[in-house]
Amino acid sequence: MQRKYIVILALVVVAAALSSALLMLAAPAPPAGSATVAGKVTYTGTPPKMKPIDMSKEPVCAKEHNPPETTENVVTHPPDALEYVVVYISAGDQPGPTPTQAARYDQKGCVYTPHVAVMQVNQPLEIYTDDPVAHNIHPMPKANPEWNKSQPPNTPPIQTKWEKPEFIPVKCNIHPWMHGYFVVLNTSHYAITGEDGSFSLKGLAPGKYTVTAWQEQYGTQSQDVTISGSETKTLNFVFKVLPYAF
Amino acid sequence: MVTRSLLKCKGARWSLLGSFLTCAASIILVLLGAAQPAYTLPPIQKVAAIPAFARKYGLPCSACHTAWPELNYFGLAFRDRGYQMGNDRDSPIWQDPSYWPVTARITPNWHWENTSHQLTDEVTEAPGTTVTQSGFDLSGMDLWLTGTLFKNISFSILPTTDNTATWHFENAFVRFDNLAGSEWLNVKVGHFELDNLISEKRFLFLSANGGLYQNYHFIPAGDSNNFGIGDNQSGVEVQGHSANSYTRYTVAFLSSNEGGVGLTSSVLAPTPADNFTGRTYDWFFSFTKGFQTGSLGLQRIEPFFYYGQRPTVFNQMVGGAPLAGTGTGNKPFYRVGVQSDFFLGKFEFLPFFQHSEDNAYLANSLASNTPLSPGMQNAIWNGGFIESHYYWNPQLVFVGRYELVRMGQQGNPLNAGTTGNIDAYSFGYRWYPIMFSRAGLAWHTEYSITKSIGIMPLSLDGSGYLPATNTTPVWSSSVMAGFDFDF
Amino acid sequence: MKNKFIALSFFSGSLVLLLATATTCLAQIDHNIVSVTKTMTSNVEGKTGRAYDGGQLRPDVGVQLFRRYCVGCHGPAGNGQGENAQWIDPKPRDFTVATFECRSTPTGTLPTDEDLFNSITRGFVTTRMPSWSALTTQQRADLIAMVKSFSPRWENEKPGTPITIPPEPTLTVDSVLRGREIFDKLQCWKCHGPEGHGDGPSASTLTNDKGEPIPPYNFAIGTRFKCGATNQDLYRIFMTGLDSTPMPSFADLLKPDEAWDLVHFLRTLQVSLKTPELALFKQWEAAHPGQLKPLGQNPGTGD
Repeated sequence: MQRKYIVILALVVVAAALSSALLMLAAPAPPAGSATVAGKVTYTGTPPKMKPIDMSKEPVCAKEHNPPETTENVVTHPPDALEYVVVYISAGDQPGPTPTQAARYDQKGCVYTPHVAVMQVNQPLEIYTDDPVAHNIHPMPKANPEWNKSQPPNTPPIQTKWEKPEFIPVKCNIHPWMHGYFVVLNTSHYAITGEDGSFSLKGLAPGKYTVTAWQEQYGTQSQDVTISGSETKTLNFVFKVLPYAF
Repeated sequence: MVTRSLLKCKGARWSLLGSFLTCAASIILVLLGAAQPAYTLPPIQKVAAIPAFARKYGLPCSACHTAWPELNYFGLAFRDRGYQMGNDRDSPIWQDPSYWPVTARITPNWHWENTSHQLTDEVTEAPGTTVTQSGFDLSGMDLWLTGTLFKNISFSILPTTDNTATWHFENAFVRFDNLAGSEWLNVKVGHFELDNLISEKRFLFLSANGGLYQNYHFIPAGDSNNFGIGDNQSGVEVQGHSANSYTRYTVAFLSSNEGGVGLTSSVLAPTPADNFTGRTYDWFFSFTKGFQTGSLGLQRIEPFFYYGQRPTVFNQMVGGAPLAGTGTGNKPFYRVGVQSDFFLGKFEFLPFFQHSEDNAYLANSLASNTPLSPGMQNAIWNGGFIESHYYWNPQLVFVGRYELVRMGQQGNPLNAGTTGNIDAYSFGYRWYPIMFSRAGLAWHTEYSITKSIGIMPLSLDGSGYLPATNTTPVWSSSVMAGFDFDF
Repeated sequence: MKNKFIALSFFSGSLVLLLATATTCLAQIDHNIVSVTKTMTSNVEGKTGRAYDGGQLRPDVGVQLFRRYCVGCHGPAGNGQGENAQWIDPKPRDFTVATFECRSTPTGTLPTDEDLFNSITRGFVTTRMPSWSALTTQQRADLIAMVKSFSPRWENEKPGTPITIPPEPTLTVDSVLRGREIFDKLQCWKCHGPEGHGDGPSASTLTNDKGEPIPPYNFAIGTRFKCGATNQDLYRIFMTGLDSTPMPSFADLLKPDEAWDLVHFLRTLQVSLKTPELALFKQWEAAHPGQLKPLGQNPGTGD
């Protein structure tokens, strides 16, 4: 009599385990939502002046920039907009399926375009060179493995991906003025501010989220937001800037 | 009367042999017959570990030394290469111009000496009395400059003092390394230590009785020879080694004297008549082979052979003393043996064996143009020691040694069969409170006791008196504790 | 009697001191060195190396060896912050990031145990890292395990797959000339200079991962390469890149026979070594004066 109960109990446990495993394997996509968090990233204070880059060591590239290209660690636009700020959901979100569309990074005129490329964990990244001179791509991650590959002119794009979320500085050793970032996130809700400093995170389901804004010089700022339906919440970030750059 | 000293060894992992050697169960002091002289000598300083190298290369002392000053196999390879790491950064041009390759080493200490069978003014006849002396003292000092003059040209200058700051040169040489681009050909010229695998200059004992190897200096009673393989010699050495120094050879061609300067024997010879120097040359050969034995460590063995001659006839004198470097009537002697270095994890064993023979004329201090009397023959003796070290960690080492010399054949008919036999026990430990890349400090404690039959006990400076009879055993013990430091 | 008493009491006193200090210094050694993965092992040359606990005869074996030989430069945390690090250039390797220059595996991947073993056996010429070939194979295997124990990457990631180095084709002057073209096309001269003197236009601004200045290899002086001395070693250097330095990997850009051509040409730059490649090249130059286009011309500028 007792043995029968034990068998039933065991079967129930097994069934529960199996079903929860199946549920986990199914890995549902984040529930589709329709709310939006939008806003602007601005600054107060006097921003540093971006300096012109001396490309005389690579005349072919220097020729392409008249007036010379400037550094891009703090890019501002009037009246008070900050460009290249990555705004993303840092808590409360589910990663979702890995996008198959590749993120793209270009080397044009010995400058990285875009200055900051945002992508998701395991999303393919393609790095192109359009220059008649050789570059080397040298990302400097700490959590991901570091690598260094040469990319001479007229060679196919480098295909790669990143397995862990991280803010990865990128440099070219041959052209020391070339600096950029790969921002690897594990959320599909992110945006990067343009010249007007505005961002918008769409398709959010109801819930509590932490929204973080990252600027390469001034670090991160976070704000919490709660979504209950399909509303548009406005969220602004203000960075205090100083007149000198690091 | 018997005094027992018991030492407990808590917490250490000892092998049976280690226990026997380093946890001595009893020490027997026996007062016997004849008077013995007192000799209490401060331990004379030995060649050092050299923090100048630590400063030059940015390595802690433990990288090259099992426990400084003893070299480990990495340090030996460094030394064989001519004090070069072999990274193209050895020439002094790569150092800051203010780098000066000098090291000073000295050991302020407290020591206690006890010798039996001594004759004093109060006790003038057998069996003599026991003399005990103790107090705080200094050792001698080494002031050592060594390193590279240039890539593949290395040098050493080691002026050294006794504890009264009387200077002499322990070594001074220049060495041309890696000739013809090969590590198998290196030439050293000057005054230097013989290539002993078990180096007396770099060992872990400092007391008056323990701070020397009996076998490295022993000469039978009545023998006029002045050679010991532990004495530095003057000449030329050709040496070669494999890249990791597991295989090495040495051939040395040396003046037939004790290695002193001015073509004489050591400046510490007690009387001018001890300047037994001639115009001949000695040879020294050694070959080292190392074997890796997995997790046990590296095992090395070095057979060696020394062939020399000493003069017995002195026809050119000034003021009753022989002129240096003019002796004739040369008679041969040789030393042959094996020095080895075995590792068993943290245990190191250093067994040594030597067979020695001195020609009858030397053994009897007889001029070669005189006929031998009946009973005079070659002196033959055998000796050896087993030394053990236990390295608890790079900053703590326990050491012990048992050594013996046994006369196989007395050359001199005036000697009894056992005259000259020696037994010596030593043990102690060294603790290094700091182990880093600028300077060194060790706390050194040691106990040593020797029994010498019918002879003046060997000591670090050679002073003392003959015992009453040639079969009197003289017991001499020392305790030493001090701070051994160098910069 | 009194004298023996003094000796005895002195000895007991020092024994007490000994035991006190032994415990202290035992703690001093073992607690200073901190590994992330204490169970790390290595397998190399048929030996298993251990960071900690090698058994009765070899307690804490990797730690003891690291303490004795390595800690002065690489530091107790294995992060290159040893007491001597501030006076050393180039700086000692930081094992916590698990990035190594000399590997047989592609860029961005961990080296094999054999790579690490070869590195410590060979040492690095022109740096303070000596050759540790005097240590036994077992000791070096234990040290490799210790090196790996400082970074968590070794727990989860497997070393990369070693690249295949095909046998070296016969040396011909055509191979050298093709190699010369490759050197020009890939713009190696940007850093190494047109004659390989390490004086290219970008040479003075090169920095390593830590932002410290680092010069490119000067072929003309002819010191041994960082990662070996043979042609195979040279092949491996540019086909895997020297991670943590500006030297990238060219594996995606060169086919094996092209890589061998480049090896042959690079050997002609090592003028002080009087290589057979140089002799062959000089012979050809003498027979064909003025035919070679100079190297190191920026495209589109003619200078």
